[in-house]
Amino acid sequence: MPKCTINGKEVEVKAGSTIIEAMYQEKESIAHYCYHPGLSVAGVCRLCMVEIEGNPRVQIACNTVVTEGMKVNNTSAKVKDAVKWGLDFHLINHPLDCPICDQAGECGLQDQYMEFGKYDPEMAERKQKKHKVVDLGPTVVLDSERCILCSRCVRFTDEVSKTHELGLFNRGDRTEIGTVEGKQLDNKYSLNTVDICPVGALTSKDFRFRQRVWYLKDAETICPGCSTGCSTKVYFNKEGMFRVKPVYNESVNGHWMCDEGRATYKFINREHRLLKAKKGKSGQWSEVAPGAAAKELSGILKGTNADSLGLVLTAQYSVEEYEAIVSTFVNTFKSKKVFFWVNNKESFESFDGLLLRGDKNPNTKGLLKILDKYGLTATWGDLKSGIEKGELKTLVVAGPENQAVFPDLGEKITELSKVPKLIWLQAGKNEQLEALTGDVTLIPLKTYVEKDGTFVNHQGLEQKFKRVTTVVSEALTLDQAAQLMSGQEIKITTADTFIESNRRPDEVMLEHRKKNEFVFKRGTL
Amino acid sequence: MSVVQNNSEKNKWYLVGILGGMGITMRHLLKNLFNKKQMETLNYPEEKYEYSPRFKGNHVLTVKKDGALRCTACMLCATNCPAECIKITAAEHSDPRVEKYPISYEIDILRCVFCGFCEEACPVDAIRMGPEWQTPGVNGTNFIYDINKLAYRPNLKGGIQTHVDDEERHKSGI
Repeated sequence: MPKCTINGKEVEVKAGSTIIEAMYQEKESIAHYCYHPGLSVAGVCRLCMVEIEGNPRVQIACNTVVTEGMKVNNTSAKVKDAVKWGLDFHLINHPLDCPICDQAGECGLQDQYMEFGKYDPEMAERKQKKHKVVDLGPTVVLDSERCILCSRCVRFTDEVSKTHELGLFNRGDRTEIGTVEGKQLDNKYSLNTVDICPVGALTSKDFRFRQRVWYLKDAETICPGCSTGCSTKVYFNKEGMFRVKPVYNESVNGHWMCDEGRATYKFINREHRLLKAKKGKSGQWSEVAPGAAAKELSGILKGTNADSLGLVLTAQYSVEEYEAIVSTFVNTFKSKKVFFWVNNKESFESFDGLLLRGDKNPNTKGLLKILDKYGLTATWGDLKSGIEKGELKTLVVAGPENQAVFPDLGEKITELSKVPKLIWLQAGKNEQLEALTGDVTLIPLKTYVEKDGTFVNHQGLEQKFKRVTTVVSEALTLDQAAQLMSGQEIKITTADTFIESNRRPDEVMLEHRKKNEFVFKRGTL
Repeated sequence: MSVVQNNSEKNKWYLVGILGGMGITMRHLLKNLFNKKQMETLNYPEEKYEYSPRFKGNHVLTVKKDGALRCTACMLCATNCPAECIKITAAEHSDPRVEKYPISYEIDILRCVFCGFCEEACPVDAIRMGPEWQTPGVNGTNFIYDINKLAYRPNLKGGIQTHVDDEERHKSGI
């Protein structure tokens, strides 16, 4: 364990670690572009300069291994000057695109310029013209002019996704990033290249031009896309959710996440959500408040014979919610008919070697644990025969939150809708559900960003997540629904709600003005 | 209402005061009748006062040579706006040199405080505060100005061109 001194602080680091790792460990700030803790060292940006005592020149921190008694410093005037001129070289051909660049606001170049730069440009030559808006693949767009050739994305496709699609082409100031001939940047982890791009060269097609980043708030949560349960950050504002990015978590996902998981913000947004509870009888629908609908059900469910009452659960809810609803069924309704709806059965155990798992539910382990705890062993076959024989008359279904990962959804709806009374709890809209003609009640639920809870991932790791915001304030969580159905009173707070649309709450509309005119009788005051 | 009665001796000489006042009025009348050029008032709807060219009136969105909007939808004006009256929706342009442009640009003029921060924030001279200051409207007028109103209203005669020209910029290698 070599000891070294960094900016006057004595530090002990692991043998073989580089200076920049020691800096990370001590949370010292250091300018860098090409170095990324999850990738190999390239040493091309020449920005992480440090002064080492006894060494006449400044050295790069990312490729210099710490030795015993090394005295390192990156705050001296010499280092700052080196970084400043390094930055000047990066900016020689970098266009002044900041106003239309998606990275503006979270850009490495902007940050370093404000810290080390602030000079008048001394280049008299014209900027090198390169390709703009290059379509790299189905998810990513490249702007070669903005690229500073740090090669992070190239190293990512070589080392992490191992798909080898990207490369550096040409020489000198004509160097460009591009895809290898005949290939597209089309892999399941392609959007990580956008995350690690320190400038706005690689942008995500999904997020491009939709929001400026300074309008977005972020909060950490757990990805519900599959049973890996990556740590993520969701970015949102009052207009809705906009993107998902990975957060470093050593024991689960490292620095990365898959492209599928980045789509998990879409079903949260209001336009995809069920806003009111709906009661339908022979095709006639009426809307009620979700709480009232659940409360009304408590009387009906309590009056039902325990043998004719069943519960279907998908593995998309938190442990706390399963606990609440299963205990309600077992203890209050005395029904042991709790069924586990397994989606894509064939690929359930598959794993692609990096992060993606075939089990597209965040909490399969958690649900199995609760079912074990209450000794529930009913199988899907029991459910099928129960429906066919007509034993099951009332069925409560906690439907999928992320409907995209349930390929059997349509099939299951037809199967389950054969019971005389169907109660379907779900966050999102579904046309097939709303086209049912039987006795159906739809109750909107909250999504994973709107509640606190715990997911148990495939390793059995319990991960807690916190409420981020509220999108549909009236919707219930599954445990609130369970409490209401068992006849308990609950208190629902409607604090921190989204504004209905993009309209300001105090925007003056025509109706208001007309009303004012009526009140004040303009001209006769 | 309390009325204070002032019965002093001085009050009896009111007629002199009235005549004095009438005299001043007559003097101005005669002066304005025979010396119209130096008259201080304006016949408002027909004649209008000329404001300084730096006057900050209603917004104008400038256009390029081909008549398209100069605005790049960078949202700096909306970010800088203290009254939060600007709402922009950006979209991808088919021309890669334009890249980003606004498909909707709305200013809630009732909310606007005419501070001119939008003009100052704009990096491409796409929004200016024009000389118009009379924006009356009858009941039902839409005071949320859209692109049509901001860039192509009739009295702009097809839009105001920017000083910044894209092609020249590209040629000079900026």
